[in-house]
Amino acid sequence: MKRYLSNPLAIILFITPTLGLFTIFVFSSILKVFYYSFFDWNGVGTAVFTGVENYSKLFSSSTFATANANGFKFALVITVYQLFFASIFAIAVSDRWMPFRKFFRTAYFIPVVLSVTVVCQLWTSILDADNGLLNALLRAVGSDSRQNWLGSRYGAIYALAFVNAWQWMGYQFALIVAGIKSISTEYYEAAEIDGASATRAHWHVTIPLLKETYFFCLLVSVTGGIKAFTEIQIMTGGGPGTATHTLTYIMYRAAFVSHRYGYGLAAAAVLVLECLAVILLLNYLFRDREAKQLRRLAGGKP
Amino acid sequence: MKTSRKQSMGAKIFSICLWLYALVSLYPLLWMIFYSLKSNEEIFVSNPFGLPATWQWGNYVNAWTQYDVPLFFKNSLLVGAGTVLVTIFCALLFTFAISRLRWPFSRSVRTYVALGMFIPVQAIMIPVVQTVNQLGLLGTRWSLILPYAAINLSFATMVYFGFFQGIPKEMEEAACIDGANIYQTFLHIIAPLVSPATITIVIYVFLASWNEFILANVLVGGVAKLKTLPLGVLFFQGQFTTDWGSMGATMTIASIPAILVYVIFSEQVERAMTIGAAVKG
Amino acid sequence: MFKKAICLALAILMVMAMGTAASAEDKVVLKIYAQYADDDTKVPYDYAVEKLAEAFPNVELELIPQAQDDGATLLALAAAGNLPDIYQTGSGILSTFRESNQIMVLDDVAQSTGFLDKVYPSCETFLYADDGHIYAFPYAGQEYVLLYVNKALFAANGLEIPTTFDELKHCVEVFTAADIVPLALFGQEGWITASMYDIIATRFNAGGIKALDTGAASITDEAYVSAATVLSELTQAGLFQNGVTTTNYDQASELFKTGKAAMFLNGQWYIEDATKALGDDATWIYYPAYDAASYEAGKAVFAGGGSVSGYAVNPASPNATLAAEVAAFISEKYCEAKITLRNNPLVALDVGLTNDTLPAMMKELVAAIPAMTSTTAFTWGLTNATFTDSIGTWTQALVSGQYTVDEFVSELGEVMAGM
Repeated sequence: MKRYLSNPLAIILFITPTLGLFTIFVFSSILKVFYYSFFDWNGVGTAVFTGVENYSKLFSSSTFATANANGFKFALVITVYQLFFASIFAIAVSDRWMPFRKFFRTAYFIPVVLSVTVVCQLWTSILDADNGLLNALLRAVGSDSRQNWLGSRYGAIYALAFVNAWQWMGYQFALIVAGIKSISTEYYEAAEIDGASATRAHWHVTIPLLKETYFFCLLVSVTGGIKAFTEIQIMTGGGPGTATHTLTYIMYRAAFVSHRYGYGLAAAAVLVLECLAVILLLNYLFRDREAKQLRRLAGGKP
Repeated sequence: MKTSRKQSMGAKIFSICLWLYALVSLYPLLWMIFYSLKSNEEIFVSNPFGLPATWQWGNYVNAWTQYDVPLFFKNSLLVGAGTVLVTIFCALLFTFAISRLRWPFSRSVRTYVALGMFIPVQAIMIPVVQTVNQLGLLGTRWSLILPYAAINLSFATMVYFGFFQGIPKEMEEAACIDGANIYQTFLHIIAPLVSPATITIVIYVFLASWNEFILANVLVGGVAKLKTLPLGVLFFQGQFTTDWGSMGATMTIASIPAILVYVIFSEQVERAMTIGAAVKG
Repeated sequence: MFKKAICLALAILMVMAMGTAASAEDKVVLKIYAQYADDDTKVPYDYAVEKLAEAFPNVELELIPQAQDDGATLLALAAAGNLPDIYQTGSGILSTFRESNQIMVLDDVAQSTGFLDKVYPSCETFLYADDGHIYAFPYAGQEYVLLYVNKALFAANGLEIPTTFDELKHCVEVFTAADIVPLALFGQEGWITASMYDIIATRFNAGGIKALDTGAASITDEAYVSAATVLSELTQAGLFQNGVTTTNYDQASELFKTGKAAMFLNGQWYIEDATKALGDDATWIYYPAYDAASYEAGKAVFAGGGSVSGYAVNPASPNATLAAEVAAFISEKYCEAKITLRNNPLVALDVGLTNDTLPAMMKELVAAIPAMTSTTAFTWGLTNATFTDSIGTWTQALVSGQYTVDEFVSELGEVMAGM
């Protein structure tokens, strides 16, 4: 059996297309990002090696601190929002007796299907200070809100994060639904026999068994937050001032607008390292829990 | 008795919340269609959310005459289909090798490909265009398909990985005993088992490629016969003023096929999942 | 039978391939990256294409509509060695591409096509880059930041046209009380917030933001700090509409056109639109200043200005010389179209055309030009891309009303120290 599963020819055949494509287009590009982050370069002219100067400039700029804080806030909002709603909705539509479940499954996924531009335009209108739907609703219930949601120096980033969370929730929802489908019904039958309520059954069966799925969802949310870009570019342009800059946005503005390509790539390199740190941290956290769970299972079962 | 009524009360509230959220999720579709039939004045000042006061069908005429919609459409479709095929082919083989086959470094190789998840496309845009140029792919459809597939690979392999993990080891053992070689096992036993994941990935990758703007703008923006639908909005964004209604029409035209693809495939997901559950259960 | 069919198919294919090759041979296709979205950009382009067909029957243009991304696409195309044959460029891209030899020196073509002879003497500065060479064929002449007002709204609220910042502040109070936006600003875009700052800064230092760009002045100079203080105070008083930093051009313009805003800031190209929407109620005024004397003196100092920009050519193009001739031709035709079809006589070339039906505001502007002693620049006329980006960002911060003057000065100072 072992020889059957370590057929070297098969392994090489199976991994070559992916490794080739990925290395040529993505990994070589990542290497270039790191390489040119040590140069003073406008993207087209002659590159001058300047050592860590781009990094020291980046670390000492106030926008870098803002961008990191924004990445953290963004990640926090989308992770909490998406995992919470996606889990609840996924469990709800996985109930075979739920009426209209197919309608709900389609509805929750629709925002993912739309292009980011459409979603951003929509929420820009909703969040508008004067003509916005949100302020109109708030006024209808008696508050005198003229809150400028997207123009607020300290609040706008949460509004942007919400829009991103709202759009991509459906995507995590779909992954969790798919995950639940793959869980054998025996587990639930066993839980039912034990007299556990549906909620408890999900808490003790669904969520632990979907560890891989949740790991993946978390990874997508957290790194998605750190590298947030499109909503910012369309909805606030990084403003007011630099209040809604993120690392990706710093990278974009530096590289393509102010022609400091090397400096922009330094921001991108930091971004990649931060995301790597997140993956390691999540790996560590999940491995720890897995071990505990195994221990508990081992202790609990005679 | 008391508790059960309380529970049904809670269930009712819960169900109302589900409906509300679903409506908020569906509203953008309506909003987009309304938007595409309004003038700038209505969009921004008098009527951003309701039915158009005067229906500006001219926006669709604008979109249709400004650029070759059927051609852009065909290009988007071919690029989307190509990207999906290449991504699924590569990712399926690769994930099988790293999750089911036993060899040293399989873990490191998996992490290596996962790296692609963390890099924003803006950061690698210039190197990617340079690579495409060096490979002599500029001016062909492959100039979009291959980079799109490469960028989506990280994601696709990670989704597959979760599913491959869930398949019992006995599957290959049984196949081995039955005398199937590793390729047959992969093709006839394992690949069909992960079809829910495949369809999820198909939907996601297709949508990502269908809506992609940044690379398309740089790679085929200058090649009239290869332009994809997202590039259509460029015809309405002036240096100062933008024809938002016609842009809305462009986006509506581009969104409808995406929604159709989703609806059709989500049906497939449902079916595939039922089969998958039957095999496993 | 089957073989025959294949042979036949192949033969047809070959004939077709040859056919297309032959027709491609007698027509040269040039790729052109140009603005093509609204009347101001479509009308001149279509006009130029029409005339090109007569003058250069062997040339066909393939249009790549320009993305509104501050030159990001062009930079990416250049980095990949994939620039179109002809492209529109501003000063920032021009100086960057000059370093990498991706922009053709057009001195000879300017001479041979007679382009050089047609340039108005006052616009010669837009022709030559600071190294004395020509890199782009300009078509736009001098351009100005104009402060448009709706006279009817001022009259209805018993207000005089403001000449000083204090009078302006008074107007702001009255308008705000009457629920009218004093000045609609599309603060989503950095260039207009920079111009807003510029019209105030030029009251203190005629060099405005251009002097900062060239390094002739520093943001910590008293003039620039004072200007920031004035802008900050006016903002706090309520000069702009709510949500100014997320307002786009169309929203702000709509406020002004529909009489919901009393003032509007934009370039002189908006004269046509303003006249169409408001008729005689719309006019432009000289910028207010800190006192009566500076107001009078400042009438000769305008914000905005022309810039080294226009149609440039990719030297790596296989038809570079032809492309350069076509670029010169198109720029000339743009001037014609702007005068006759767009009521904009402020072009770079003397093409021998006049337009007698100019709107009143344009006539006033043309009459005011001889008295002008200096202009500054729009952000696309600035040469340092880093400064351009930062001045937009930080003036936007200032008009948001959520950043202090100290923050503005120190952040910009930090950027400029690193330039």
